[in-house]
Amino acid sequence: MSLMKNQANPWLTSNLLVLGLGMLPALLLIGVLLYFTAWAFAFSFTDLALVGRKSVEWSWVGLQNFERLFTRRGFLESLWTTVIFVFFSAIVGQSVLGFLLAALLRGTQSTIKTVVEVCIMLGWLLPDIVAAFLWSATTSQTGLINSLIIVPLGFPPVNFINDYALPVVTIANIWKGTAWSYLLFSAALDSVSREVVEAAKVDGATAFQRIWLVMLPIIRPHIATNMLFITIWTFTYFPLIFAMTGGGPGTQTQTLAVFLYNQSFSRGNLGFGSAISVAMLVIVGLLSLVYLRMLREPK
Amino acid sequence: MADVTLRGIRKSYGSLEVVHGVDLDIKSGEFVVFVGPSGCGKSTLLRMIAGLEPISGGEISIGGRVVNDVPSPQRGISMVFQSYALYPHMSVYDNMAFGLKLAKTPKAEVDQRVREAARILQIEDYLERMPKALSGGQRQRVAIGRAIVRNPKVFLFDEPLSNLDASLRAQTRVEIAKLHDTLDATMIYVTHDQVEAMTLADRIVVLNAGKIEQVGSPLELYRNPVNTFVAGFIASQRMNFLPVVVEGGQLRLVDGKALPLAHPQLAKAVTLGVRPEHLQLASPETAHFSGTLSVIEQFGEYALAYVELASGELMTVKLDGAPDLQLHERVHIGLPADGVHLFDAEGRALR
Repeated sequence: MSLMKNQANPWLTSNLLVLGLGMLPALLLIGVLLYFTAWAFAFSFTDLALVGRKSVEWSWVGLQNFERLFTRRGFLESLWTTVIFVFFSAIVGQSVLGFLLAALLRGTQSTIKTVVEVCIMLGWLLPDIVAAFLWSATTSQTGLINSLIIVPLGFPPVNFINDYALPVVTIANIWKGTAWSYLLFSAALDSVSREVVEAAKVDGATAFQRIWLVMLPIIRPHIATNMLFITIWTFTYFPLIFAMTGGGPGTQTQTLAVFLYNQSFSRGNLGFGSAISVAMLVIVGLLSLVYLRMLREPK
Repeated sequence: MADVTLRGIRKSYGSLEVVHGVDLDIKSGEFVVFVGPSGCGKSTLLRMIAGLEPISGGEISIGGRVVNDVPSPQRGISMVFQSYALYPHMSVYDNMAFGLKLAKTPKAEVDQRVREAARILQIEDYLERMPKALSGGQRQRVAIGRAIVRNPKVFLFDEPLSNLDASLRAQTRVEIAKLHDTLDATMIYVTHDQVEAMTLADRIVVLNAGKIEQVGSPLELYRNPVNTFVAGFIASQRMNFLPVVVEGGQLRLVDGKALPLAHPQLAKAVTLGVRPEHLQLASPETAHFSGTLSVIEQFGEYALAYVELASGELMTVKLDGAPDLQLHERVHIGLPADGVHLFDAEGRALR
């Protein structure tokens, strides 16, 4: 350690001003992050509005905004929608589908693999707004599914995006995000030694048992990491849903991110919006703790 | 315990054939070693017996039953892998019990068999440990233990010692030999190390480029190799090969020196083979070869002298003890009365 110190430039270590200057960009960045967090936290106790009198003459309202989270309709409803959206699109959809694809295509070099990879990568690479337009166009009353499948089969057309809004955005998000899970699980499965899997085969494990009892436990840390990432991302995911449905019809697809946007910028309640974002921060933080516990090595 | 029969076994990947029709009978309780250079198909052959690799042609029987289409676990085999292939998320105990639990063996029996195997391999003290807390040698024992508990008819070993350091390798080799004696099971062992092959095998199968070159006991292979490949592969020091010509019923070295050798098929000889340990120093008058000492390696108990002949050939001579020879000294070598091998133009031994 002392050797390292001696190797550092003495001009640098002795000059506090230079040191301070060197740290400045990092300090600025951290400062800005803290500033916005602190801003949101502070204004969650105010009645600040986007426009009008209260945008200037705001006042402290104590815990009133947080009370409103639980007493008024909206927040709890949106939280429930978000939970359903996260659970089905990220945890069940992206994760399970990504894992199944990675497991099935593992070690194969077929054309099918290339086709599947290109398809799911396309979903990932397309900008959210373009993807939203594609999905709207595909699932609307006059969309692709209706004109190619439903109507030719002699059924009346179904307005999927209106009648099944939450399932449609959920499926769209699965399509959009599976690539990440697929890539992560592919890399994780590649790290499982081929001989270990063969040993399980010789030991009499069926294909399902090899995955469930051998491969999954070995890549458990990767699964937890993936869950952590996609849960946080999906929990706060905004553009795809907003562009597809705007939270509607009614409030059917109003996840917390959309609710936050609507409250803050459509209704102009910045104070209440801040309270929503603080609540989201707390929820995501708690979820992360759960996953971080999963990451720990078993005793 | 069961015998294993291979009939015309072939393996191809697409149009590339890597095993070209192997026939072999392995008797019950025998310790057979597949040996050969890397890429000779020995591991592929073992994996086909294990059921990890589909068979492209031919028939494999274990205990009289054709197992071509029998899945691995039902073949009555256990396999020890080169990387040990322990389940990293299970304790030593669970690693060994895994196969039995899958087969729905009663708990008491699982426990009894795991503890018995642990006792044989002296790993009772770390049954509760995780594999990553074990040394290489200990992991190897656990891998063998996992093979033992399943009570297989045939044990398959795929280069099990190649990840161990030299001293541990020698020690484990002895333990595997003892284990074979204790369990009295059929064992098939793949290695590229001819020392392991010589010391462990009842019979060695020498493979080269997907074909069997020779099958026989270690000493048979050492004494009567059927061709230059086997002659060069078996034994710690590679056999010396010298080109020879036959003139007027006399065997001569390329530089014209006549060698006093009689052989019924002398006329066909083109290569002379002699093992380093069969050569000896001789006086200038009785010597068959003379050359300069270009390198000498002293091992204490023996020395390897590399002698460059006038024709440019380098001969290895193994000398007992610590001979007092100087570099670049003129050295005279005599051929033994027997222990000289002659090979024809195709490399086949002349008998």
